[in-house]
Amino acid sequence: MKSAPFEHYEPTTTNEATSLLESLDDPTILAGGQSLVPMLRFRLANPDVVVDINGIDSLDYLREEDGYLKLGALARHADVEDSDLIDERYGSFADTAPLVADPQIRNRGTVAGSVAQADPKGDWGSVLLAHEGEIVAEGPDGERVIPADEFFLLPYDTTLGEDELITEVRIPTPEPREGSAYHKLKRKTGDYAMAGVGARLVLDDDGRIETAGIGMTAVDITNAQATDAEQHLEGERPSADLFETAGELAAEASNPESDEHGGADYKERMVDVLAQRALGDAAERAGAVRRKVTQ
Amino acid sequence: MTDETEITLTVNGTEHTVEVEPRRLLVHAIREDLDLTGTHIGCDTGNCGACTVLKDGEPIKSCLMFATQADGAEILTVEGMEDLPAADDDLHPLQEGFREEHGLQCGYCTPGMLMAGKALLDENPEPEEDEIREAISGNLCRCTGYQNIVRSIEYAADELDARAATDGGAVAAADGERSADAGGEADTFCGLEDCCGGPDASGGDHAGDQFEREYLGGEET
Ligand SMILES: Cc1cc2nc3c(=O)[nH]c(=O)nc-3n(C[C@H](O)[C@H](O)[C@H](O)COP(=O)(O)OP(=O)(O)OC[C@H]3O[C@@H](n4cnc5c(N)ncnc54)[C@H](O)[C@@H]3O)c2cc1C
Ligand code: FES
Ligand code: FES
Repeated sequence: MKSAPFEHYEPTTTNEATSLLESLDDPTILAGGQSLVPMLRFRLANPDVVVDINGIDSLDYLREEDGYLKLGALARHADVEDSDLIDERYGSFADTAPLVADPQIRNRGTVAGSVAQADPKGDWGSVLLAHEGEIVAEGPDGERVIPADEFFLLPYDTTLGEDELITEVRIPTPEPREGSAYHKLKRKTGDYAMAGVGARLVLDDDGRIETAGIGMTAVDITNAQATDAEQHLEGERPSADLFETAGELAAEASNPESDEHGGADYKERMVDVLAQRALGDAAERAGAVRRKVTQ
Repeated sequence: MTDETEITLTVNGTEHTVEVEPRRLLVHAIREDLDLTGTHIGCDTGNCGACTVLKDGEPIKSCLMFATQADGAEILTVEGMEDLPAADDDLHPLQEGFREEHGLQCGYCTPGMLMAGKALLDENPEPEEDEIREAISGNLCRCTGYQNIVRSIEYAADELDARAATDGGAVAAADGERSADAGGEADTFCGLEDCCGGPDASGGDHAGDQFEREYLGGEET
C-alpha cells in the first residue's frame, strides 16, 4: 500500500529542524525510515507533515568527546559496524551492530531512530540501558538530556516530546577496566530478537565489580534493566557462580510473552543463559582472566 | 508541499529527471516512472529484499526509501549489470554465475540477490561462504533453498578473480573487507597456580578476576 499523502520538509540544520518541529502541526521525523516507511505504508502512521533530517550533515558523526562516546542522530547501524573505534573499545556496540536486521537496513537505519522507535524488540535500547546511556534532545526550550532509564515508557512510546529532536545518543567512555557485550537469540540472521541481553562491567583496582549494567531486549513491554541482577553483581568478584545467580535474577526480572517463537518459560530461560554469556564476555573484555579448571 | 517535486536520479549511468510526490517510494519511481521493472517488490514490510538496488554503491531496499531521498544519487539496478565493465558486453559474471549454478527457479528474488551479491564482491572479492550468506541475509528466496545462490556468487567471485589475474586487475572489484569479528577476546592464562596473571594482566592483584566459563558452550547466533 502507498502511504497517505504528506507534506515534506528537508531541513539542513538542527535549528531549522527544531523550528519546523515547533511551528508545524503534528510533524513526524524521518531518519533512516527503516521503521517509519513500513508504518506509513501500512497507514499505522498518518502524519500530515514529515521532516526528513537526512540533510542535516552536522548530525552525522560517531566520536569520543568530553568523556562520552557520542553518536549523532544520523549515525547508521553500518557506521557502528564499520568503526575501528567501536571495534577497539566498545564490545557491546561491536556485538550489536552486525546483529541488527540485515546489511541493507543497516546502511540506512540509525541508532537514534531505533531508540526513538522504542520497539521492545529493538536492540540498541538495551545496550544504552546497560551503559547508563543518555539521549540528547533539542526542543523549543533548548537541549535536554534524558537518561536511558527514564526514556522508555511503553512499546513505541517514550518521554520524548513531539516537538523534540534527538540529536545524539551517548554513553560514558570506558573506565580503565571495563568490558561490555551483547548476546541475542533470533530465529534466523536478520530477525528481531526473541531475547537479547547487553551487559557492562566495570572492575575496581582490586578486581571487584564496581558497576554492573544489564539491559534486556524483547522480554518486556520496553527494553528493560535487570536492576536486581546488577545489584547482586556489584562489590563481588567475577565468577561463574556469581553470573549464574545474576542470570537467574535477570530471568526473574524479565516478563516475556509466549508467541510463535517460544513460550514465556523458554524465553526466561534464554534470558538467564544470554545474561551469563554476556556477563562472561564483559568480564573477559574488562580484563578479568578466565581460569583453566584443572582440578 | 504534497505537490510533486522534481528530482534527478542517475540510474545505470543515465540521468533522469522525474516529478514525484513526497510519498512516492524509490522503488515505484524506478519501476513506474523509469519503466525499469527488473527491480521487484515482494513485500510491504522491508523483509524480502527483492527491491534491493545500489545507491551510491551501497545496497539498500528501495521500498524503504522515498524517491525524494535519492535526489542526486547514483542508482544501479539489475538492468545496469550488463553495462558494467566486468560484463564485457555480455552477462555480468554474477548473472553468468546464476545461470551456470542454477541460482534461480522462479527468478523473483534474483534481481535483489544480484545486487546484494554485487555489493558484497565490490567490498570483499574473495568472500567465504558465511560472508556470502550474511550478505544475502536481507534477501528471501522461497524457491532455491539458497545453496545454489551461494554457489552462483562463489562462481562470480572466482570468475572475477580469474579475469583480474589475466587483465592485471583491470576489472577487479574494489577492496575493503569488513571485519566481521567483534571485540578482542583472548584466552589468556598466567601459568601461575591460582592466579590469573596473563600477558595483559600487568601488576595489581588479579587473583579475584578468575572465573570459569566452561559451562557455557556454543554460540547462540
Ligand atoms: C526487516 C527489518 C528488520 C529489522 N530488524 C531489526 C533488529 O533486528 N533489531 C533492531 O533493533 N531493529 C531492527 N529493525 C529496525 C531498524 O533498526 C530501524 O532502523 C530502526 O528501528 C529505526 O531507525 P530509523 O533511523 O530507520 O528510523 P525511522 O524509521 O526514520 O524512524 C523511526 C521512528 O523514530 C522517530 N525518529 C527517528 N529519528 C528521530 C530523531 N532523531 N529524533 C526523534 N525521533 C526520531 C521517527 O519519527 C519514527 O517515529 C528492523 C527493520 C526492518 C524493516
Ligand atoms: S519489496 Fe522491499 S524488502 Fe520486500
Ligand atoms: S528463485 Fe523464486 S524466490 Fe528465489
